[in-house]
Amino acid sequence: MSSWRSQANICGTKGVVNVFVHVFCYRLKCLVRNKEQVFWTLLYPLLMATLFFFAFGHITLEYEQFSPIPVAVVESNAFRQDVTFQQVLNNLSQPGEKQLLELVVVPQAKAEELLASGDIDGIITVDETIRLTVSQLRQSQTDKLQSGLNQSILKAFLDEYAQNTMTVKRILAQNPAAQEQLIAQLNVKHSYTKQISYSDAEPNTMLNYFFSLIAMTCLYGAFWGLRNTTDVQADISDLGARRSVAPTHKLQTVVCEAAAALVVSFGEVLLLLVYLALPLRIDLGNQVGYILLTCFVGCLTGVAFGTYVGTFFRKSEGLKVAILIAVIMLLSFLSGLMYVNMRDIVARKLPFLSFVNPATLITDAFYSLYVYANHTRFFINIGLLSAIAVILCMASFVRLRREKYASL
Amino acid sequence: MIIQVQNLVKRYGDLLALDHFNFQVNDGEVFGLLGPNGSGKTTAINCILSLLKYDKGTIEVFGRPMAPDAYESKRNIGIVMQNVAVFMELRVEENIDYFCGLYVEDNKVRKQLVEEAIEFVGLGEFRKFYPKKLSGGLLRRLNIACGIAHKPKLLILDEPTVAVDPQSRNRILEGIRNLNQQGTTIVYTSHYMEEIEQLCSRIVIMDKGKTLATGTKEELKAMINAGETVSVELYVLRPEDLARIRQLPHVMGARYENSRLTVRYGGGKHNLIGLLDYLKSQELSFGQVYSEQPTLNDVFLEITGKHLRD
Repeated sequence: MSSWRSQANICGTKGVVNVFVHVFCYRLKCLVRNKEQVFWTLLYPLLMATLFFFAFGHITLEYEQFSPIPVAVVESNAFRQDVTFQQVLNNLSQPGEKQLLELVVVPQAKAEELLASGDIDGIITVDETIRLTVSQLRQSQTDKLQSGLNQSILKAFLDEYAQNTMTVKRILAQNPAAQEQLIAQLNVKHSYTKQISYSDAEPNTMLNYFFSLIAMTCLYGAFWGLRNTTDVQADISDLGARRSVAPTHKLQTVVCEAAAALVVSFGEVLLLLVYLALPLRIDLGNQVGYILLTCFVGCLTGVAFGTYVGTFFRKSEGLKVAILIAVIMLLSFLSGLMYVNMRDIVARKLPFLSFVNPATLITDAFYSLYVYANHTRFFINIGLLSAIAVILCMASFVRLRREKYASL
Repeated sequence: MIIQVQNLVKRYGDLLALDHFNFQVNDGEVFGLLGPNGSGKTTAINCILSLLKYDKGTIEVFGRPMAPDAYESKRNIGIVMQNVAVFMELRVEENIDYFCGLYVEDNKVRKQLVEEAIEFVGLGEFRKFYPKKLSGGLLRRLNIACGIAHKPKLLILDEPTVAVDPQSRNRILEGIRNLNQQGTTIVYTSHYMEEIEQLCSRIVIMDKGKTLATGTKEELKAMINAGETVSVELYVLRPEDLARIRQLPHVMGARYENSRLTVRYGGGKHNLIGLLDYLKSQELSFGQVYSEQPTLNDVFLEITGKHLRD
């Protein structure tokens, strides 16, 4: 072994960058090798995403997919003689993208049997008038939750047909010469309301669960922030004491390690996004840059929150972890993680809370990106979130800058 | 002068942890801080390292006032804490490399220093192990390796052998001796007087935050009257013989219990020979004979009236 003393004091002036890289890389290793924390901050959100997908994902699909409405027409002389109505029904039953009805013409008894068994959603009976018979809302044999939507469509269709028929008869009775013009007018649809799309996406309430889940995962960065502060404070841990004796500026160490925590937290959220977008095929919108910005600022807020809790409370690490879990779950609940309408309830009853709850801000940022083409609301959310992160960082810095302690 | 501590006062509320505590550490020596648990040894070390605020006094290290931003001084200090302070998520060699990297910038040099530190503490075959897989003794060695890898001029060891098996303890003490021979100044705190006696060239004995005595172990022992203690297995000893033994030169006291004669001397040389000569002259047959030199515990007992481990 070479002389112990001969190589002493070889370091000279340390390069700040070298130390930054050294501390940063080792901090990354420490964080990603912490299996327990990786489970809670990565695998747990992935499990929850899977759970949400199986719980809510197919409900979303049921709402989004439209299939022709099964309906029966009762065989009768009146129906056979009403050629116009027959033509209309035939047109609407033609296979293709625009098929509205799946039509069967059967006797009355058979039609009632089909309705009772849930094979059809309604019976159309033609006599002096055209009548619709539907069953009460029920769960069918296919176990699909029926909402009454199909029955409403049938009723709307028959009402419109009856109204148009009555109008045509009245006009022709008063002015037979208008027949040609009338036929032309009937083929033109007038709309007196204008649909304005704020984005390319369809509104989907169930997505809020996934937005809140992403928000919760961002805030789970707090666990990494807490771990950092535990290891850097001499009055909290022996590691903190040993590192405080080293010739490295404390603030430099804190910044390096916060950067490592941010990278780990952001990486975990990216994995969650990829999992949601690819295997689960959850549509999070197409504004990838803004989505990543939201996640980054969310993770920054999470790490800053953990750092603050780690510096503010001089309690055991276990208690601090419990505080973090409780607070993050509460914030996530208020943002709609467990009950999708909670965010709206809080916005109405306690609007101030919506502006200071980071989970709500992240969720709302995602929502506004998804729903609105305009980014005003998104940037308000990001601005508020950044302000919270800055306040937490500054408060933590005030506590962390202490270099001597009254007791260890 | 490597360390100079003058009139150091540290209070924890109403408790006076350090009461005008003084000591100096010279270049190249192994300096021992000896005192019972709670005597203020670790508090003194933490004040020297600028981890703790103190109420009064001055501390100089390498001739400069010690402060949290005294990075030049800190760069030449190594610390081995009382409790193991390593990263559980890093392997043995990674831990050593991490702490060495806080002091040494050059990667090649650092790599060499890490290898030397691993070899020095004998953790070569455990270099890929995580700390939780190491025994208590090996963990202590890792703790030491993390403190010495950057080859500090001043190494402070705060009770490094607590809860360590004898084999690891001997290895640690041998390593500290080697470090000192290579030029490192050592400050060693312990409540194990045997270790302090074995290692330290100068010692400060402290209790309740005060300096009780300072000097070499010979100087400390010379401060008290106690000399060697001789024990002899005797099957029969008449009271008149015990009385005569008490009259022998330098004898401070003698007692006979359970077939064992114990004689305490207050100095002098060749006391054992004198005692055995007397026993032979009286035709008293004896068995095993033991002779013990006075210890630092005797010094502590003499000064405070209590044992070090009370």
